[in-house]
Amino acid sequence: MKRRELLKTAATGVVAAGSLAAPRIAAAQGMRTLRFVPQANLSSMDAVAGTQYVVRNAAMLVWETLYGVDSRLDPKPQMCEGHEASEDFRTWTFKLRPGLKFHDGETVTTRDVVASLQRWMVRDTMGQAIKGRLDALEALDDRTFRFRLNKPFPKMLFALGKSNAPVALIMPERIARTDPFKLITEYTGSGPMRFNTAEWVPGSKAVFEKFADYPVRPEAGDWLSGGKRMLFDRIEWQIPSDAATAAAALQNGEVDWVETPLPDLVPLLKRNRNLAVDIADPLGNIGSLRFNHLQPPFNDVRARRAVMMALSQQDYMQAVVGDNSDLWKPLPSFFTPGTAFYTEEGGDILKGPRDVEAAKKLLGEAGLLGAKVTLVVAMDVAITKAEGEVTGDLLKKLGFDVDFVATDWGTVGARRTKKDPPSQGGWNIFHTWHAGADCINPAPYTALDAGGDKAWFGWPKSDEVQAGIAAWYDAPDAAAEKKAMAAINKASFDNVTYGPTGFFLMYQAWRTNVSGVVKAPFPVFWGVQKT
Amino acid sequence: MFAYAIRRILATIPVMAIVALFVFSLLYLAPGDPAAIIAGDQATPADVDRIRISLGLDRPFLIRFGEWAWQVLNGDLGVSIFTNLPVTHMISQRIEPTLSLMSLTLIFSISFAIPMGVLAAWKQGAWIDRVVMVVAVLGFSVPVFVVGYILAYAFALQLDWFPVQGYTPISVGILPWFQNLALPSLALGLAFIALLARITRATMLEVLSQDYVRTAKAKGVDQRAILFVHALKNAAVPIVTIIGIGFAGLIGGAVVTESVFAIPGVGRLVVDAILRRDYPVIQGVVLMFSFVYVLVNLAVDLLYTLFDPRIRY
Repeated sequence: MKRRELLKTAATGVVAAGSLAAPRIAAAQGMRTLRFVPQANLSSMDAVAGTQYVVRNAAMLVWETLYGVDSRLDPKPQMCEGHEASEDFRTWTFKLRPGLKFHDGETVTTRDVVASLQRWMVRDTMGQAIKGRLDALEALDDRTFRFRLNKPFPKMLFALGKSNAPVALIMPERIARTDPFKLITEYTGSGPMRFNTAEWVPGSKAVFEKFADYPVRPEAGDWLSGGKRMLFDRIEWQIPSDAATAAAALQNGEVDWVETPLPDLVPLLKRNRNLAVDIADPLGNIGSLRFNHLQPPFNDVRARRAVMMALSQQDYMQAVVGDNSDLWKPLPSFFTPGTAFYTEEGGDILKGPRDVEAAKKLLGEAGLLGAKVTLVVAMDVAITKAEGEVTGDLLKKLGFDVDFVATDWGTVGARRTKKDPPSQGGWNIFHTWHAGADCINPAPYTALDAGGDKAWFGWPKSDEVQAGIAAWYDAPDAAAEKKAMAAINKASFDNVTYGPTGFFLMYQAWRTNVSGVVKAPFPVFWGVQKT
Repeated sequence: MFAYAIRRILATIPVMAIVALFVFSLLYLAPGDPAAIIAGDQATPADVDRIRISLGLDRPFLIRFGEWAWQVLNGDLGVSIFTNLPVTHMISQRIEPTLSLMSLTLIFSISFAIPMGVLAAWKQGAWIDRVVMVVAVLGFSVPVFVVGYILAYAFALQLDWFPVQGYTPISVGILPWFQNLALPSLALGLAFIALLARITRATMLEVLSQDYVRTAKAKGVDQRAILFVHALKNAAVPIVTIIGIGFAGLIGGAVVTESVFAIPGVGRLVVDAILRRDYPVIQGVVLMFSFVYVLVNLAVDLLYTLFDPRIRY
């Protein structure tokens, strides 16, 4: 017996001699509490105003969506009982399930739904697409509401049920009236768990408690769809400040589930027989080398192509996930591999042996050999640090004069918004990555947009890409969607919207007394239990 | 002395004003943008701009500083950009773990370091002196986070005597409170013990060579009384000064220690705030730390009069 257990036993014997049932009660309470370590600090709770994944993950416990995607990414009714769509996809009528209640006891009505969707439509790209063709969004009665559009929108159910932030979460009308560009300050939802504001210590702990009046759907739970059966009374998010500490706490039984263990520590965790380690998100992530299309040298497509010709995804992926080849694969595409409309159309530039000499020749023809490149790298994020270091080396091989700006993610986040020349605080390249769930199609994929000034950071401009995206939105069937996706992929490679540095997976780890953990782009808490 | 204390407390007002202006200006000039962090990675540049405007971050420096200074003068440190919680509430949530950690570290450090320094001086050149010097050099040389990880590995993961992380409020029980803080305090205190032991040794060596110590020895005064009553009291002024200065080091060390042991203290609060550019929180915490530091220095000054009656203010 270990010393601590001995002390515990002794203390129990002395203190609780007259109350032998107490430890059993405490143990039972422990079984009803899940201690979870999220990927990052939960600093706010608004998954409409912000797009941080950790916020989205917390928000999906507290709020619900009208529809919800399942593990095949098919949207299924969630708060809705069902819908009717006109043949031309211009009129969509929805009916809410009976018995939906907010955590304050108020009934969910279509007034709440309309206000929530109006706020969401301002922020989300699919919402904006709906808003752009909206004649009216109207509450017909307390449970029925209708979209009337002036143009078909076949993707309505996916838009309402997608997991990508901004998520179409339904909030009480008074909360939904908040400016879409300001964070909400009240966290009343209708989801399976209520947020315990009193116990929230931002940066340290967030507590969710079971909502007794939540009407569980009869179907089996599957990602964001079906019955969200909560088998815990309480979920405690213990925010880590250090990944090594989180891994140690998991080994020591102080936490039950770590969403994103440090890759370096995964072999250690795998050797522990009390722990289970598995892929977290089957849709994985896509590494991104983001060019600034407005500033030289990468305002010239030949410079961007030259980098692509020499870019070795193997180098990037090994830097990001190590030598475990199960965790990454080459990606001659902008889309998530293994999904229905995955395409490699136009991706030849990333296939075959890398050709630094040919790339230099192309740069020479463009008169860009030796050009100065400002590479801004967030060194406090393991993935961007690894990517940045590989890029720095690659650019030097290509003969660029590299200004490697090592900084933190907060600075990169601000600096990338600047369109000025690098000498005036701008940039040429930064790194990030995109969740595979965001890259299954163009709708949630802001990084793919090539609308120039209105596009994502780097401001790529390509009419062909934009035409492909428009065609995808209007695609009436799967064949048309597939064709549009292929056109987008090809145009994105022609334009080199950004440089995909490869596809990679991450692990999650949990104690073996926890069961029901599934692979998903977000932690799925329903159906999970402790024994 | 009372009048002196009042004067010193009043003198903190311009100090705090300068600190406030300095911190605000530094954050204004520093790169980074909370709007970009709120918006998240998928947001468009236009979204980031709109959020920046909604937060009022596009307004001129003087207006923003004036508003904040007026709030502070009214006892309001503002509201976190991210959580919308008052900064005073966020600090109050975090102050107990930090105070506990620093208090226990001070107790640990003083309890170990001063006897070590006294013994090392008494037995100058002997093995005990060398051991104390080795501990001091190690304490100085090994960073807090390395000590922290080693302690956590040995005493938490391998021996299972202490938890790896977290904090239990003292109201729950002294034992769990102590279990959570023992390793962090030891990690944080090691460098302080090293500093204090070395200063104590050096000061004691000087005092022990004084005539009155020789006289006391000649009169047959007990060795312990010489060391701890006569010599230590006379060596106390530099030691107390170092304790005061070391307090600043403890504040810096607490930031790292709280991160390694996941203690929800003010140190972690400010680190998280810096990473997110949560300006009101950074400004509030730095202001609070600087006020505490000024008060500690005042306390040190006042303590001098206890140890050396010749000092008068």
